[in-house]
Amino acid sequence: MSKKVQAIYLWWHKPVIDQELLQSLPNLKVIANSGVGMDHLDLKLVANFGVKMANAPCAVSSSTADTGMALLLASASVFLAGYHIAISSGMEYCEADFLGVEVTGATLGIIGMGSIGYKIALRAKAFEMNILYHNRTGRKEQEEQAVGAAYCEKIDGLLQRADFVMVVVSLTPQTHKLIGKREMELMKPTATLINISRGAVVDQEALVTALQTGVIRAAALDVTHPEPLPRDHTLLKLKNVIITPHLGIKTDKATYMITEEAVENILAALNGLPIPSEVLPS
Amino acid sequence: MWYHRPVINEELLQSLPNLKIVASSGVGIDHLDLKLLSSYGVKVSNTPFVVSTDTADLGMALMLASSRRLVEGYQIAVSPDTEYFPADWLGAEVSGATLGIVGMGTIGYKVAERAKAFEMKILYHNRNRRNKEEESAVGAIYCKKIDDLLQQSDFVLLSVNLTPQTHKLIGKRELELMKPTATLINTSRGLVVDQDALVEALQNKVIKAAALDVTYPEPLPRDHPLLKLKNVIITPHIGSATKKTRRLMMENMTESIQAGLAGLPIPNEVL
Repeated sequence: MSKKVQAIYLWWHKPVIDQELLQSLPNLKVIANSGVGMDHLDLKLVANFGVKMANAPCAVSSSTADTGMALLLASASVFLAGYHIAISSGMEYCEADFLGVEVTGATLGIIGMGSIGYKIALRAKAFEMNILYHNRTGRKEQEEQAVGAAYCEKIDGLLQRADFVMVVVSLTPQTHKLIGKREMELMKPTATLINISRGAVVDQEALVTALQTGVIRAAALDVTHPEPLPRDHTLLKLKNVIITPHLGIKTDKATYMITEEAVENILAALNGLPIPSEVLPS
Repeated sequence: MWYHRPVINEELLQSLPNLKIVASSGVGIDHLDLKLLSSYGVKVSNTPFVVSTDTADLGMALMLASSRRLVEGYQIAVSPDTEYFPADWLGAEVSGATLGIVGMGTIGYKVAERAKAFEMKILYHNRNRRNKEEESAVGAIYCKKIDDLLQQSDFVLLSVNLTPQTHKLIGKRELELMKPTATLINTSRGLVVDQDALVEALQNKVIKAAALDVTYPEPLPRDHPLLKLKNVIITPHIGSATKKTRRLMMENMTESIQAGLAGLPIPNEVL
């Protein structure tokens, strides 16, 4: 059986690709990933076995951008606290007790302005948000103007001015713990951190402290490290945190499109053709 | 006047002979008997425009939270029983879907502006058609008959005033015209929807889900079926509940009161 396997479609990081598995599949030609993140794969190891790799970058961007906006809006409007009050059996009508913060006209700082980050900027612009972004390289002027985004070469400038900080980077050795104690202390105490990239991009312990001591107002996390968090983790208990179970691309439409992309990649690899979204070990 | 308190009736008006003005918070004035107040020579003001962007933002928040199953997802993420996140658990996509806006006033139009950025197809139904520039700015298509909007929309968002004409505007017939995969979002007034019909429609999967910032009454009785349905999100009328907007509302109301007491033209007067 294992001699027949030529392609693997990785669904939510399963199966785990390690030396043992690769040795047991001598005719494996390609691994196609469902989704864009490749941080769970040892790219060099896979390449050593002569196996090609591909991800699915196109299908994920709208769904993930939508998730980012959903989290931003929910955390700004004290949505969950409101929901619990609205349905709880012990409710007394005390609506003045909690107020949210405005989204329209607020400043959004996007860290990582790739395709997902850019789609977020497009959406945020319609909410008349003031957009700052930080990226390895600046985007073209036309692209910046289309969303009214101002480039912050230093992340500090973005952190100091943003009401909402949205993290949308790939996880790489450079972005590991990109947002730590220092970065959070640069943020406004009224600011909200939203993470839709990877849990490890944020220093989770520093985040707990920052949230408990009011260094930042709130956080909304679609990703954590690990997923799910241990059930006794402090983040699960904090009132000013929304956690969602990696909703990123979990829609029927995105799932379908991701699978289509993966199939294209697999067929190309098996036919010896150029692979549309090949990922090379850098 | 804050959140419809105190209740303005004949008894109260008779007991306050020097009352000159009632300044009401928010834009809705359906809780006020305008003819009665006018007969006592009392002026009325509201705060119409300052609530628009917050309410539009909340409409978008409800749509996204509902379709992506944010509340359920949150419960899974924090539940003590969760061992892993299920891989086959999916929501529905907002980007590229069809949004039907019932009531394209200031708030409805702001919703359209936001939805356009999500590449949504926008249909709208309104007493009057908007002009061509306004329509093309948001890519909105006019549906003279509400039925056409209901049949084609993935999300139906209500942003009308409550008037005798819009009372129970969405009832059994309208819910049955909607797609079984559609979601109803209400940021206007609870009474615009026939609540009993809505409960039935949700229980029988006539529509997929509802997200309501407003109900009738507010709050609902604690044993109301809407509180128990899994496919319903309810928020406690937080449409205008941000610090900045509340402050602006207060400022508007104070201005109106001061003008009313000084006998000057009243900003935001309701006639």
